[in-house]
Amino acid sequence: MRLLEFQAKRLLSRYGIPIPKSVLVRSPDDLRKLSFPVVLKGQVPVGGRGKAGAIRLAAQPEEAMAITAELLNSSVKGYPVSAVLAEEQVEVKQELYLAVLIDHLVGQPLIMASATGGVDIEETARKSPEKIVTKHLNHFAGLPDYVVRHLAKHTGLKKLEDFRRIVNQVYQIFRNYDATLVEVNPLALTPNGLVALDAKILLDDKAAYRHQDLFARLQEEQKGSAKSGKTSAEQLAAEKGVTYVTLNGNVGMISDGAGTGMLTLDLIQDAGGRAANFCELGGLAGAESMRQALEVVQANPRAKVILIGLIGGLTRMDEMADGIISYLEQHGKSRPLAVRMCGTKEEIGKAKLHMVGIEAVDDLETAVNTAVKLVREPS
Amino acid sequence: MTILIDRNSRVLIQGITGAVGSFQTRVMKDYGTRIVAGVTPGKGGTEVYGVPVYNFVEEALQEHEVDAAISFVPARFAKDAALECIDGGIRFLVVTTEGIPDQDVMTIINYAASKESIILGPDTPGLISPGKCKLGVHPDRMFAKGRVGVLSRSGSLSYEVGRLLTESGIGQSTVVGIGGGPLWGLSQRAILKMFHDDPETEAVVLLGEVGGATEQEAAAYIEKYMTKPVVSLIVGRTAPRGAQMGHAGAIIEGEEGTAESKIQALRSAGCLIAQSPSEIPTIIKKG
Repeated sequence: MRLLEFQAKRLLSRYGIPIPKSVLVRSPDDLRKLSFPVVLKGQVPVGGRGKAGAIRLAAQPEEAMAITAELLNSSVKGYPVSAVLAEEQVEVKQELYLAVLIDHLVGQPLIMASATGGVDIEETARKSPEKIVTKHLNHFAGLPDYVVRHLAKHTGLKKLEDFRRIVNQVYQIFRNYDATLVEVNPLALTPNGLVALDAKILLDDKAAYRHQDLFARLQEEQKGSAKSGKTSAEQLAAEKGVTYVTLNGNVGMISDGAGTGMLTLDLIQDAGGRAANFCELGGLAGAESMRQALEVVQANPRAKVILIGLIGGLTRMDEMADGIISYLEQHGKSRPLAVRMCGTKEEIGKAKLHMVGIEAVDDLETAVNTAVKLVREPS
Repeated sequence: MTILIDRNSRVLIQGITGAVGSFQTRVMKDYGTRIVAGVTPGKGGTEVYGVPVYNFVEEALQEHEVDAAISFVPARFAKDAALECIDGGIRFLVVTTEGIPDQDVMTIINYAASKESIILGPDTPGLISPGKCKLGVHPDRMFAKGRVGVLSRSGSLSYEVGRLLTESGIGQSTVVGIGGGPLWGLSQRAILKMFHDDPETEAVVLLGEVGGATEQEAAAYIEKYMTKPVVSLIVGRTAPRGAQMGHAGAIIEGEEGTAESKIQALRSAGCLIAQSPSEIPTIIKKG
């Protein structure tokens, strides 16, 4: 889960990391708590807000309310601005960068810092990576002080104490909340010391059960931030817990594995077609999962044909056939189906499908070619 | 000798009494795997298909010699089960569980490394040495004994390729799933080295996918050390950027994560690149 800026900063503040004085703007009264000028920041779960015009400056309250109203009607990269954070402007002498994340390749946390943070950090990483100092941590050993001093030296900071406290607290947040990334960018050097001006925090959804209250609150606050224009198929998929991604083509697809699912997308394109979606059942799926996946895929009007590619390890083909048949009982063959079936109990599965007039094939490429040919034929 | 396990390996099963654990115990036993004991807290004293069940790994180890273990324990308890296994001194553990929090996976793999245990996974179908031994959930009739080593991030893709190889008369030495990611115990590079050192493996098939940078790391190893031919297939060529395609690892973020950059790295390391699974047997026969 990606936290909105105000949620991330609330967490930083709770750990004693200085943030600008700020309020979420709900009414003109809220703004009285701040001294002007203020920075108004549209809250969206994506980067590039500044360039999209979602970060603005206001000199006095009336202007701030007008801009807030404007921002609340806007969106960034398809994400509606659900809230506006107003912050007192601070005097910035230098923008630093600080992050703790998981380096998946190494299987250890990684800490990074730079004297040149801010919006261009990705370009700095590309063009002059030597300006970013990185250090692997040991998951068991925590954050040694020499690493903090090493980062401080590299960033040229004169006062170590503030920086040491902030780095340690960022690391604590990373550990305590099952974060996969805690990034403070910029970490601004101001006349009053270091202040976190923006922050990005990613929490591990797999660990949500350990932080139930926090996740529930964050999700509640993010309700208005979901990407707009969700299709009916996407809504249905979210309700049913089906892995589903909308794509641009017209060949609907369902797979019982992620790897073969991605392979199926590639094969559809190689055969001259385009997939309408990506839909994967996962290893332990039964008949009901299959039926629900079909419901979701057929809810996309662009899917002219549905390709079902199954190669069961843990999934059982007799159960998959039951799922397909129960879907057909409700919907009939409103869309042609092309089925590939292979693996555990495939004879029973194929025989069941044969009874309802569906001939499942053994080979994925054959099924893909059939599906692509079917969408080309005028119906 | 095959990599990691052989027909003499004595196996312990964690989570043996669950639906998946008990079913797969029977399937592995039928395949010829020597399953000596199972563990499920609170179910000690019972049996699953003739395999004695214990409450603790330590109790099982008092009665049996164990060379390897496989865990079907649910995500919330997977870390605890793995630590118990490692503390018992079991040197090789397959973690099939999907959805373990990243911080727990880091604990498992780093603790294992400190105790000289090896972890395969998590989120893996395990491994099969056809005709000899299986420590996993592979549909075994898709595989046949032979001399090609297969390693894959995705379970289903390794079944797909195994089946096509078998149909073309090309058998496999060992088929290994490293797991769906984004964190791994044994890496692609580590498995490649084992195939490199295995006298029964003559060629290797590397099945990768979009996301992360593990194929680039594998390519660097291949370029420097690998003398056996490597055929590679990367899936997700047409997947859109930023979309999560099932596996936690399969999300394209940086440039390294694209299929293009992986294919380029592997090709310049000397790998033979297949566009689809059906090309793999042809490439191997030519090579």
